[in-house]
Amino acid sequence: MRGTTRTVAVAAMSAVALLAAGCGGGSSDDNTTPAEGQAGGEITVFGCNPQNPLVPQNTGETCGGDVLDQVFSKLVHYDADTAKPENDQAESIETEDNQNFTIKVKQGIKFHDGTELKAKNFVDAWNYAAYGPNGMYNGYFFEPVEGFGDLQCTGDGDDPCAGDGKPSAETLTGLAVVDDYTFTVKTTEKVSNLPVRLGYTAFAALPDAFFADPEAFGDKPIGTGPYKLDAWNKEQSIVLSKNADYAGDWAGKVDKITFKIYQEVDPAYNDVLANNLDIVTSIPASALIDDKYKSDLPERNAQKETGVIQTITFAPTKVDPNYADPKVRAAISMAIDRETINQQIFNNTRVPATGWVSPVVDGYKADQCGENCVYDPEKAKALLDEAGGFKGDKITLSYNADGGHKEWTEATCNSIKQALGVDCVATGVVDFATFRAQIGDEKMKGMFRTGWQMDYPSIENFLAPLLKTGASSNDGNYSNPEFDKLLDQAAAATDEAEANSLYQQAEALLAADMPQIPMYYGKTTMGWSDKVTGVKITAFGTVDYTQVSLK
Amino acid sequence: MTEATVAETTAPSDPHDTSDEGEVRSLASDAWRAMRHNPLFWVSAAMILVFVLMAAFPSLFTRTDPNFAVLAESRSKPGEGTWFGRDLQGYDIYARCIYGARASILVGLFTTTGTVLVGGTIGIIAGYMGGWVDSLLSRIGDVFFAIPLLLGAIIFLVSLPEFFNNNYLLVVLKVVVALVVLGWPSLARLMRSSVIQVKPNDYVQAARALGASPLRVIGSHILPNALAPMIVVATINLGAYIAAEATLSFLGIGLQAPAISWGIDISSAIVGLRTTPHMLFFPSLFLSLAVLAFIMLGDAVRDALDPKNR
Repeated sequence: MRGTTRTVAVAAMSAVALLAAGCGGGSSDDNTTPAEGQAGGEITVFGCNPQNPLVPQNTGETCGGDVLDQVFSKLVHYDADTAKPENDQAESIETEDNQNFTIKVKQGIKFHDGTELKAKNFVDAWNYAAYGPNGMYNGYFFEPVEGFGDLQCTGDGDDPCAGDGKPSAETLTGLAVVDDYTFTVKTTEKVSNLPVRLGYTAFAALPDAFFADPEAFGDKPIGTGPYKLDAWNKEQSIVLSKNADYAGDWAGKVDKITFKIYQEVDPAYNDVLANNLDIVTSIPASALIDDKYKSDLPERNAQKETGVIQTITFAPTKVDPNYADPKVRAAISMAIDRETINQQIFNNTRVPATGWVSPVVDGYKADQCGENCVYDPEKAKALLDEAGGFKGDKITLSYNADGGHKEWTEATCNSIKQALGVDCVATGVVDFATFRAQIGDEKMKGMFRTGWQMDYPSIENFLAPLLKTGASSNDGNYSNPEFDKLLDQAAAATDEAEANSLYQQAEALLAADMPQIPMYYGKTTMGWSDKVTGVKITAFGTVDYTQVSLK
Repeated sequence: MTEATVAETTAPSDPHDTSDEGEVRSLASDAWRAMRHNPLFWVSAAMILVFVLMAAFPSLFTRTDPNFAVLAESRSKPGEGTWFGRDLQGYDIYARCIYGARASILVGLFTTTGTVLVGGTIGIIAGYMGGWVDSLLSRIGDVFFAIPLLLGAIIFLVSLPEFFNNNYLLVVLKVVVALVVLGWPSLARLMRSSVIQVKPNDYVQAARALGASPLRVIGSHILPNALAPMIVVATINLGAYIAAEATLSFLGIGLQAPAISWGIDISSAIVGLRTTPHMLFFPSLFLSLAVLAFIMLGDAVRDALDPKNR
């Protein structure tokens, strides 16, 4: 790996030298460039407006996340193809009991401002993120760490942190700096996959400069990654340039990456067709129809399964008792023709789901949903009759109208209507925020669409946050003691294979209760101009910048 | 001629009243004679008749349920089992086009009736009363006139309560209300100016001098002679309101599924512009023809009512 990095650096230097000398043609003598393309140069990539300031602990969406992934390296790096975690900034992560972890940080890593990365940079950043009054979006990732509860605001009303609501502690008791390059983490309960989680953006280290002026840092973050941020021109572009000091194993090939900010993907796609933009990270629906993008961008497109799952969740039983019977739920699930909807509405850019866990993670097992997720209208109708028919007057399927979900929810409802003979209406809710608020306040009746993008590549991330009793994203208030028990056992298991098998057993229980209907696994489709080569999609649906180069 | 009208008939606004043909003819019968010889009128009338039939009795034209989807045949081309092909959801486009007429015709008719009633009444009051009443009503009209139709309708429709989405008629009604609220000032202005034009005429003064009440003066003497321009503009506007309804539905704030409207269908077909344009073509064609029919009718009526054009 190290060797490769060095040849790339040499190639980059020679390319720069050629440019400087104004020498275009006679480069055949010292042709050190690899066959797939040359290093150096600059590319433009589709970007969108980050929702929050660019602080890793405060970014939970892809617009800012795509940028921060390049600016910040983490303790753990996920493999681009398999999402398998491997140590990056961590020298070692050790534990005996899945509860007390000792993390050693590699020496000699520098932030973009020249300061050295030390253990305290992690501890300070994590404490800052977990401290309630700071309002960091990714604060909940630190929930497993001991002392998290004491850092949360306890008050009510508009400002829960005012007066008596102020947290009783400012630092996590579970974090301790041992020496400059070593720190320890103690979790409240056993967590078998903590090392896997550490590659998520929320766990990145922050330099001292952040604590001096968090606001200025949010506009121009200082990280440790292969690229450093040069400028964020609001609403226009974000410019990254290569970090010359980067010593890690995942350096990029190009010298400069510019994220051009678009409001919609259609104009970006047209810019790629005209070679005005190099990479577009999704394909608009108009070009997906009949695989139009494949003839628009021949040999210049790619598709890959990513860690996303689309589901349909039933409202909690106390909100809407009509869907309480698991037989009714299974009948509705069986009445959905996932294959045809995928083909006609999504143009095969999804994969019909056969379980609750994405195939990209370690521990995935196919067909966990069994026959409940196989389209069979006769059996569905028979099952509904067996359950005594549907009690309400019509089935409703709600969706957020701002996310392109209208088509597939309508098609899903048509499928249910035709198979079960019960009227089904897809109901749009004006935007995502309103939609989620109605679910959170338990005002949404019937069924509603839910989706989950993995935070870190682990089977646990698809089960615990979504379906464990009282979990943060358990929208249907599902509660099954046996399921919870298996998850706890899995979290405490020291052997990875054993943990995975326990998680799989837990997942298998879901087929009997059907708390959610699995719909689709996600895929990401990208296209690029004829100036670049080597564009690969990671398991997270992002561009693998270690491979992209100019032709 | 207008004086003769007043002298001869008490119901001159009836367009079918042709009994007094001969030496003395009413304005309406005169217009009707002119229109009968205008092919434009017959073409547009025939088209409107077809669209009205579609709106009232869609089952005359198709037996297919417009909400029955055959997803497996989604985006199939015309002729592959259906006349106009199928759309993204697999609905029969021909059936959707037929059923979509109802929303457009209803919105067009209701809005025109509404603007004529509101705008006409306010225009007559302003024109006849004059003075501060005129100033007040005209300024109120200016306020609404200043709001751009589409922009205003978007704000209006978005802020309406959920109640209006309860049934089909209410959904249609909310679009009508939005368009009437923003559309009446142009007709009020028109009416006001024609009333002011007619008011100083001798026959009006005579009627007033004889002690006729304002209502009688307006009803029998002013209205029949000031109505012509409004009829023309209202007919042409009917087409424009149909287009406005489609625009609002296209933007997703007018009619909403499961209601069927050409605007909704055009909006959902737009993704196929480069690949399966027939999904977009047919609803657009129906919309264009309906708008064209009413605008052509308005043209024919104007030719007939405006003596200068003869």
